Amino acid sequence: MQITPEPVNRLIEELSRLPGIGPKTASRLTFYLLRAPVEQALALSEAIRQLKERITFCEVCYNITEVSPCPLCRDERRDRTQICVVEEPLDVLALERTHAYHGLYHVLHGAISPVEGIGPGDLRIAELLKRVQDGSITEVVLATNPTLEGEATAMYLERQLAPLKIRITRLARGLPVGGDLEYADEITLARAIEGRQAM
Amino acid sequence: MHLAHLSLTNFRNYVRLELSLPPSIVVLQGANGQGKTNLLEAVYYLATSRSPQTTADRELINWLADDEPLPYARLVADVQRGNANHRIEITLVKQLNTGPNGFRLQKQVRVNGVNKRTLDLLGQMPVVLFRPQDIELVAGSPSARRHYLDVTLCQIDPRYARALLQYNRVLAQRNALLRELRERGGDRDQLLFWDQKLSEDGAYLLLRRQALVADVLARAQPLHLTLTDGRDRLNLRYVPSFDMNPSQADYQLPLAFAELEMSPGGSVQDIAGAFVSRLREVRREEIARGMTVIGPHRDDLMITANDVDLRTYGSRGQQRTAVLSLKLAEVQVIQEAVGEPPLLLLDEVMSELDKERRRCLMDTIEKANQALLTTTEWQVFTPEFLAKTLRLTVCEGRIEPV
Repeated sequence: MQITPEPVNRLIEELSRLPGIGPKTASRLTFYLLRAPVEQALALSEAIRQLKERITFCEVCYNITEVSPCPLCRDERRDRTQICVVEEPLDVLALERTHAYHGLYHVLHGAISPVEGIGPGDLRIAELLKRVQDGSITEVVLATNPTLEGEATAMYLERQLAPLKIRITRLARGLPVGGDLEYADEITLARAIEGRQAM
Repeated sequence: MHLAHLSLTNFRNYVRLELSLPPSIVVLQGANGQGKTNLLEAVYYLATSRSPQTTADRELINWLADDEPLPYARLVADVQRGNANHRIEITLVKQLNTGPNGFRLQKQVRVNGVNKRTLDLLGQMPVVLFRPQDIELVAGSPSARRHYLDVTLCQIDPRYARALLQYNRVLAQRNALLRELRERGGDRDQLLFWDQKLSEDGAYLLLRRQALVADVLARAQPLHLTLTDGRDRLNLRYVPSFDMNPSQADYQLPLAFAELEMSPGGSVQDIAGAFVSRLREVRREEIARGMTVIGPHRDDLMITANDVDLRTYGSRGQQRTAVLSLKLAEVQVIQEAVGEPPLLLLDEVMSELDKERRRCLMDTIEKANQALLTTTEWQVFTPEFLAKTLRLTVCEGRIEPV
């Protein structure tokens, strides 16, 4: 015999599919929404609907956007000779927070990982190559994560971009600012020594 | 260094155990199935974060605790090193209703109360384990011999432990890519990155393993001569799955080792270079088979006595003696590297040895700061020996002094 009504069960099931949400949290959220004012619950459902309906990928950089091309790609003040390649849309936000980079972006939507069945064909790599070939790009900044998979992606891109005779750079790896030398792990510290700079 | 206190909760058949240990020899006696081996396993697990018996950590949780809403096991070792006290702590929590098998096992390692990676655990409490199954080291498959080299090196060289971890990750990615290329084709240049990473980490593994083999041999050879009344001359040869140094055919020469040791940086590069070019040569075969066919994960260690391969032609007795020589040499190598004797864990090994071998092992045990021995029968030991030890009995997961 089923005690809870079907709509309740269904929402619990849907919520527990979300990352980081188990069956317990899902039921708590469900019962919270049950008691919440109608407007609040509908606002949530409307927000989700709009998210799916209004957000698309930018046809140029493949970042998430409401209008394609995205505001970043349309912004005339940005340096149109540089492209920064990142794995995920969140990486763009992180880089934008720095206010240190003023060029364009390209979002790959992942990194090469044969174990997970992700090859170069599953990423927006062909699109990147086309952009670089077409445009007035003089520098590509490879900003994939410093993980095994991110490095594999960076090296693959480097090989693909090399014949195009443009400047290819990789984000520096090393010590975090405000960090303490003695707490840095050996690999990070070794990388920092390799990448030391003249003062 | 010695293990001053061991505390177990829901580990195997120990529901609760608080055991203080002296820096001396401890003999644990009990019938079969009472928890002698489990106790040694717990100590080994705290030292290496791996069980010698099983690769499934969930089996370590007491099976009665397994029925509880939040099954967990907790192991704590207080290690006295000089005047300092270290606390090593491993907690295993089985989280139900998540993960692909209906549960997820969460493993938490702490050293002195601070969360650490399992990698950082290695070397905190160096141990050498002797078990009857060690005969596999000589008689078994190459993986047992690679494991012997890996466990020893991981405990004395943190860089080796990291390189090994990374090597295995690269290997998994590379094998997946090779299978992908076999089944669906694609750009073979994708292999270049993984070839490079594999060879960088692989070269370090090879270099250290070769140096270790030379080190072990230098110590095991005289031990083995003593154990066999001067009859058997033990020899070890690291057998790589590819020719690392084509210009120098005989890389087993001690001279070659000396050179490797003197210029480790350059040598790693040389080996990595040879590895990469070999990978290029076997690429077609690797894609056809969908796996990496050369590298440290395919190497072997040849163990001979008077030039006879002990794995194939050695008698059981000869194999057992060779294992003892290798194990005793391991103790010396670790002692040399960390500056003090490792903790010895001996599981029922005395009963299998004859008088001469037992005496040789006893020598090593008496030189150690601490040794934990298990036995079913007190009679295996002489009364004089027992007088110098702490005697404990193990019965149904409880430990009592005699």
